Amino acid sequence: MSTAKETPKATESAAACDDLALLLGRVAARDAAAFASLYRATQAILYGVVARILTRGDASGEALQEAYVRIWEKAGEFDPAKGSPLAWMATIARNRALDEVRRVRPKSLEEMPEGFEPAAETVDPLAARSRSERLAALLACLDNLDADKRQAVLLAYYRGFSREALARRFGAPTATIKTWLRRSLMQLRECLES
Amino acid sequence: MTLSSDDDFAAAEFALGTLEPAGRARLAARRLREPDLDAAIHAWEARLAALSEATPPIEPPVDFLPAIEARIRSAASDSDGVATLHKRLSRWRAAAIGATGIAAALAIGFVAREATRARAPKEFVAILQKSADSPAFVASINLDSRELTVRPLAAPPQAGKSYELWIIEPKLGPPRSLGVIDAAAVTRGARLAPFDRTIVQDATYAVTVEPEGGSPDGKPSGPPVFVGKLVPVEP
Repeated sequence: MSTAKETPKATESAAACDDLALLLGRVAARDAAAFASLYRATQAILYGVVARILTRGDASGEALQEAYVRIWEKAGEFDPAKGSPLAWMATIARNRALDEVRRVRPKSLEEMPEGFEPAAETVDPLAARSRSERLAALLACLDNLDADKRQAVLLAYYRGFSREALARRFGAPTATIKTWLRRSLMQLRECLES
Repeated sequence: MTLSSDDDFAAAEFALGTLEPAGRARLAARRLREPDLDAAIHAWEARLAALSEATPPIEPPVDFLPAIEARIRSAASDSDGVATLHKRLSRWRAAAIGATGIAAALAIGFVAREATRARAPKEFVAILQKSADSPAFVASINLDSRELTVRPLAAPPQAGKSYELWIIEPKLGPPRSLGVIDAAAVTRGARLAPFDRTIVQDATYAVTVEPEGGSPDGKPSGPPVFVGKLVPVEP
């Protein structure tokens, strides 16, 4: 990740969202040029998603490639009623990264850099330049959680922290973290559905 | 929704990503046969997905588009090839010619096809089999990138179990896991990245049957069911 750097680009606007949905539709019809445009328009966001979880450059590049192959394969399954095209693509990329970071493997192969702490520990979603309605609603509900619990959810989402990693981060037993997560997630759902 | 509240919470944690490796692997296996659980995971993913819109972009260090396009092309030709192979296998078997020798011949044909596709001598393959007439998987390895591709040929599906691939080499000590491999689809990844070139080339590759999601303690839980050694695609 040494050569990667943060770039201050605005997040998607409503118009860009429509464009991405159109591109995804063409990708579903096996349009290679549309796929290239989709890649160019979204690569930095998706790399931002996987690189914050995987922290190793080679693993991030691998996850990014696998994510785009899946996006090509699954473009026909995108449903605009369920969320924005970017959120759909980011979920695929995030799952690739989580699968990699949580791969079952012997301890001797664990290469998680202990104590790795990048400058910005987590993302502050309130800093997003533009907010979709869904993001605004989610942020309002997150705001109802206690500060520690909100931070735990955000560390898990943006940095891929597991229960154990959160327990170390907050100096709390894993069982306590599990209880936090359970209450936070149920509270979030209730809030979103109200 | 018929899901228990524990399962719903497990789905939520799967979507958030906080499950430990074994828990995540178990749930990933369960969702394949439990549509309610799968739907709950999707619903939780959708609830949280808007957060990703707030992810600050990071420019990738290199342009990955050409590599992605190459993978897409190779995946398309692989699935054609494997589907054709399966069809031919079952047709021949149905014709009661007797599978002995034919499956092995098929595997060799497959290797030959690989050879024409990959020209560089860095490409190696291993046929993972119980005996010469029953190839179960073909593992292709790119020695430069340490990329591993495992294609199922005739691996019988194991209900409630997973196939796991191991690299065995005296210098490594006990067998080291290369992760779970799919009995029905191509498994691909740079899983050999931690290993030396010569170790990768000289090692024996073995497949064991493990509890769903893979060995819980990082050791094979039984004897290998399929084994193979690497041969260069081109001499």
